[in-house]
Amino acid sequence: MTERPAPAKLELLVRRDDESFEVREVGSSLGFIQSRPQRGPEGSFEISEVRSSVARERSFILKNTATDRFLVLSEPETFLWEQMDGTTSLQEIATAYVLRYGEFDFDIIPNLIRKLQRAGLLTLEPKSRLRQTLARNRRQRVAKAVEAILTGLERVNLSSRRVQSGFQRLHRWGGFVLFTRAATVLCLALGVIGGVAAVALVQGLDDVFSGFGGHALGGVLVVKLLFFASVALHQLVHGLACVHYRRRVREFGFAFLHGFVPTFYVDVTDIFMATRRARVVTAVSGALVHLVLGAVAFLVAAYAPVGSFAQAFAAASGIIQWQALAISLYPFGFIEMDGYHVFVDLLGVPTLKHDALSYVRALLGGRARLRSGWLEALWLAYVGLSVVSIAAFLAFNVWIVVRAVS
Amino acid sequence: MGAHLEFLRDVRLFTRFAESELSALAESLHERRLRKNQLLFREGDPGDEMFIVRHGAVLVSKAIKGRVEQVLDRVLPADFFGEMSLLDGSPRSATVQAETDATLFALDRRGLERLIDTNPRAAAAFFRALVHVFIERLRRSTHQVAEATRWGLEATGLDVESR
Repeated sequence: MTERPAPAKLELLVRRDDESFEVREVGSSLGFIQSRPQRGPEGSFEISEVRSSVARERSFILKNTATDRFLVLSEPETFLWEQMDGTTSLQEIATAYVLRYGEFDFDIIPNLIRKLQRAGLLTLEPKSRLRQTLARNRRQRVAKAVEAILTGLERVNLSSRRVQSGFQRLHRWGGFVLFTRAATVLCLALGVIGGVAAVALVQGLDDVFSGFGGHALGGVLVVKLLFFASVALHQLVHGLACVHYRRRVREFGFAFLHGFVPTFYVDVTDIFMATRRARVVTAVSGALVHLVLGAVAFLVAAYAPVGSFAQAFAAASGIIQWQALAISLYPFGFIEMDGYHVFVDLLGVPTLKHDALSYVRALLGGRARLRSGWLEALWLAYVGLSVVSIAAFLAFNVWIVVRAVS
Repeated sequence: MGAHLEFLRDVRLFTRFAESELSALAESLHERRLRKNQLLFREGDPGDEMFIVRHGAVLVSKAIKGRVEQVLDRVLPADFFGEMSLLDGSPRSATVQAETDATLFALDRRGLERLIDTNPRAAAAFFRALVHVFIERLRRSTHQVAEATRWGLEATGLDVESR
């Protein structure tokens, strides 16, 4: 048997503004998964379903209108073709595929890409459009500065890929308890008790926040910083859930998401190979950290002396923790958090956000007509609810700060 | 000086030099120190010196696009670079910068000519060794071109076989 060569690597030297440089080793596989396949423009192809009373699986004919070449695509291949819009990376397409079909065929994407390239229906583009735009406008000071800042922040990545054994040990030494019935019951009980405490606190909210005295803004900032630490715990529990279902945690670390949002992260994508129940538990368990911490904070606030700093601090912590719980589990908000992943997994519409935004953009731009169908209704509901939710979230935070300061 | 001679004996270009020839050569070498990240010369700069790495490591790179360059070679102690400009006077074909703090010995054209005039036997040994190194580097370059092509094919998923 011929041994397959390791993926080719390029050693690149990337210069910085301050005359220093960084050497990066870039594997061809990284280039491949970060590329964004772009199908030909509208009008350069036609697609239609082949109806057969014999074949059980649906199939489609894709035609290149310029060359008159035809391709027969299976239903999964057609799904992949629909994702290849030049904005979705191969990595994201593969994830969408797994969510849709519950399994991953390691050959289907490269084979389809080859087939489409041969038919002249596809080009591959590098990943970040923002970075491409910034690079093109580097002569403008603002673009150059933004690019330099993003590049600098992106370099801040404290992570490890050798975390599986650590998570396994944590799971063995007590982490497994989190996934027992008793833990679930305790969590729900804490949620109910914390909720009762929160309701009681809301009735005297002015007195509660008076505990901050003249340092309301500073107090809220410290609460936010402490909350940041709980995000690490959130990710840790995701990792524990992943090993609980005997899947692999690929990476754990800290980085700046999109180049500017500081966050802890854990790579539990291996859970896609497990059952739907495992995926849902892994997604939800991390968010429940905020339920527990918030409930404890509300209980502390309820028993702290009225108008004390401890009460104000605990109440603010509880609000922020439960707000994080809501954001994590709430699927509508244009951000793909845990709740969104559970929601699309349960509905079987892995590209909901992308499809909904495309549809609404087309509607607003006059390129599409309002259609009546459950999918279209879902898209409209998703966008509508997301817009309302973001507005409500912003209003709530302004209200909290105003209440805390006044 | 003694430590320098010991070091120079390990440099492939000078392994066949007699003690006296090595001492004469050592007098033609100038020491250069580089701080980490410091640029020695850029692609396209004029130059008439070759450099032998005494301590540390330097990177040889070639501009690809914008701020990105491909690393062609990492030159470590007892290895050398920059000989092409020394021999044919052409501009530098690549950029060289220090990956760590580094100490180099520089041999300029005058030093080389002095070696040829005063020690023709040593000069012949020098050029013979240089040819061997050139052959090795040519093989390595050919391999690098093939690897870069493979990288491109793998990264784009381009199927050339069945075209």
